[in-house]
Amino acid sequence: MKRIVILCVEDEAEVLDAVLRDLSPFKSVMRIEAAESVDDAKTVLEECAADGHPVGLILCDHLLPGVRGVDFLIALQQDAHYVATRKVLITGQAGLEDTVRAVNEAKLHHYIAKPWKAEELQTVVRDQLTEYVIRTQDDLIPYVGVLDGARILEAVASSGRDQ
Amino acid sequence: METEKRVPDWLSVKSVGLVVAVVFFFIPFFIEFEGLSPMGHRMLSVFLMAIALWITEAIPLHATAALIIFLNILLVSDRAMLPLPDDYKAPGFSTFFFSLANPVLMLFLGGFFLADGAAKYKLDKNLAKTLLKPFGEKPSNIILGLMLIVAVFSMFMSNTATTAAFMAVVLPVIARLPPGDRGRIALALCIPIAANVGGMGTPVGTPPNAIALGALNAQGIHISFVHWMAMIFPFMLVVMVVAWQLLVRLFPCSSKTITIEIDSSYDRSPKAILFYFVAGTTILLWFTEPLHGVSSAIVGFFPVVVMLSARLISDKEFHSMQWSVLWLVAGGIALGTGVGQTGLDNWLIGLIAWDQMAPAMIGGALCLVALVFSTIISNSATANLMIPIAMSLAVSLGDDMNRLTAAVFVAIGASLAMMLPISTPPNAIAYSTGQVQTKQMAIMGALVGGTGLIIFILVAPHVWALFGLLE
Repeated sequence: MKRIVILCVEDEAEVLDAVLRDLSPFKSVMRIEAAESVDDAKTVLEECAADGHPVGLILCDHLLPGVRGVDFLIALQQDAHYVATRKVLITGQAGLEDTVRAVNEAKLHHYIAKPWKAEELQTVVRDQLTEYVIRTQDDLIPYVGVLDGARILEAVASSGRDQ
Repeated sequence: METEKRVPDWLSVKSVGLVVAVVFFFIPFFIEFEGLSPMGHRMLSVFLMAIALWITEAIPLHATAALIIFLNILLVSDRAMLPLPDDYKAPGFSTFFFSLANPVLMLFLGGFFLADGAAKYKLDKNLAKTLLKPFGEKPSNIILGLMLIVAVFSMFMSNTATTAAFMAVVLPVIARLPPGDRGRIALALCIPIAANVGGMGTPVGTPPNAIALGALNAQGIHISFVHWMAMIFPFMLVVMVVAWQLLVRLFPCSSKTITIEIDSSYDRSPKAILFYFVAGTTILLWFTEPLHGVSSAIVGFFPVVVMLSARLISDKEFHSMQWSVLWLVAGGIALGTGVGQTGLDNWLIGLIAWDQMAPAMIGGALCLVALVFSTIISNSATANLMIPIAMSLAVSLGDDMNRLTAAVFVAIGASLAMMLPISTPPNAIAYSTGQVQTKQMAIMGALVGGTGLIIFILVAPHVWALFGLLE
C-alpha cells in the first residue's frame, strides 16, 4: 500500500517544527513531508507522484517567499491530480481578499489561524484525512485506528463484503 | 524525503504469486501424472493455478474466478481450443457461463438486497437499539446482547458490514472505559467473533455456505433455507454462548455498568415501510419453504424485483453492490464442475489412503484443513477449492460419509477460522481499532474455533442423523 502524504509548506523553521510535532500522531499510517517554499513543495509533489504516493492533505502557510500560499493552492485545485487533495491554510496574515479567493478558487477546506492549539490542528487534520480516505481509498480498514474510526466504520459498513 | 523500508516491487507476494501461478499452470502440460487422464491434466492446470492465485491474491479473488470460467471453456468444454479425446463427454461451454446465474447466486443476491435495504433505511441500527434494551447495563449482559444481535444480523448481512456497523456503535463505549480496562478487549472482540460465527447460520450468511449449497445443488441435493438453519443454528448458538463466557471471563470489565447509545429512530416513510414488508415477507417465505415448496432461490429474487421496481435501491446503489462476491462464488461452482467432469477429483482423492482412516477422522480432517487454510487465505477461496474434492471424497467412501456432511464441514471450518487479523475482514476491523493485540485475538480465535470444531465434528453429525437431516 502506498502511504498517503501530508505535505506541510511553511518557511519559518520553528513554525514548521511545531506543525510537524503536532502531526506526529499520524506518522504511523501517513507519510509526512515538509517544504519551505512553493518551489520546494512542487519538487516534493513531483517526487510523490513519481513514487505513486497520493497526496491527501496540504497544510500551507500564506506568506511564503516567492509565490503566495493561496496562489499555490489555487494552481493545485486546477490540476486534476490534486482535486481530491484536502487543502488547509495555516496563517495569521492572509487578508480578507486572499482568504475569499482561497475559499472560492482553491476550494479551501479549512482555515487555521495562527497561533493554533495542537488539539485543534489534530482535529482538523483527522477530519480532513478521514474525508479524503473515505472518498478515495478502496481499503479503509488501516485508517480506523488513527483517523475518525466511527465515521470510517460507517463507510465500511455500507461497502463491506465478505471474502 | 523520508526513507521507507520496502521490498522491491518485483519481489512482492503478488508478483511472486503471478509467476508461481503461470508455472503451476504449465506443469501438467509437461509432466505426466500416473493414473490421471489427459483431460484431468488440463483441469489440474487450472486447479493449481487457482490455488496459487487465491492464496497470493496476485489478482483480485473474483478475477481468478472469471479466469477459471474462461479457462474451463477454452480447455475442457465442447468448444475447447485443444483437441478433445473421443471417450471424453465434454460439458457444453455454456455450462461454465451458467455458473454465473446459478440459483444459489440468486438466493445470495436476495440477501444482498435485504442487507442494503436494512442499512439504507437504518433498520439494522433501529432493531439493534430495540433488541439491546432488555439486556440492561451490566457489561457481561450487554456483551451477550451485542453478540446475539450481531450474530442474527450477520446471518442475513455480510459479516464485514455487520462488524463495521456495530464496531462504529461500540467505539465510543470503549473510549469511555478507563485505559487498560480489559473490558475494552472483550467489547472489541465480541463483535467479529459473533459475526464470523453468526455467518454460519443461514445459506446467505457468508459465501462459503453458498458455495456448499451450489455444489450440493449441482449433484441434485436440494437443501432448503430452514434445513440449513436446522442443521447449523442450534450449534452456532452453543458456540456463541461458549465464546461469550470465554470473553467475559478472560477479559472482565472493571466498570459496573456500560451504556450503549444508538442515535436513531425508525424510518416511517412509505418506501421504508414497503422495505419492511418486503424484508419480512422474504424471510417468512424462506423460513416456510417446507410448507409452500417455493425454492429459496426463487424467493430470493422477490426482493430484487420489488426493490428495483419501487426504486428502493437506486441505480447507483445497484451498481455498487457486492457483485464481486457473486463472481467469486460462481468461479467456485465452475471449478467444481470442471473438476468433476474431468475426473480430477477422483485422482486427487486417490493420492491419500483414506481407507486407513476412520470416517469421523476424515470429517474432522476436512473441517480442520478448511479452518487452517482459511485462517490464512480467503474463506470463499478455501470453500471453492475444497468443497468439490470433499464431496467426491464422500462419494468414494460410500456409506461412511454423506456428501451433505462433507460440504457443510468445509463451509463451517472456513467460518471458524478467526485467529489472525488477516483471517477475515471482521477480524481486520477489530484489530484496526487498536484495542486488540494479535495474541489476544489468536487465543480467543483458537478457543472459539476449537470449540466449534469439537461440537461440529463430534456432536452435530449424530444429532443430524437422529433428526433425519441427512436424507
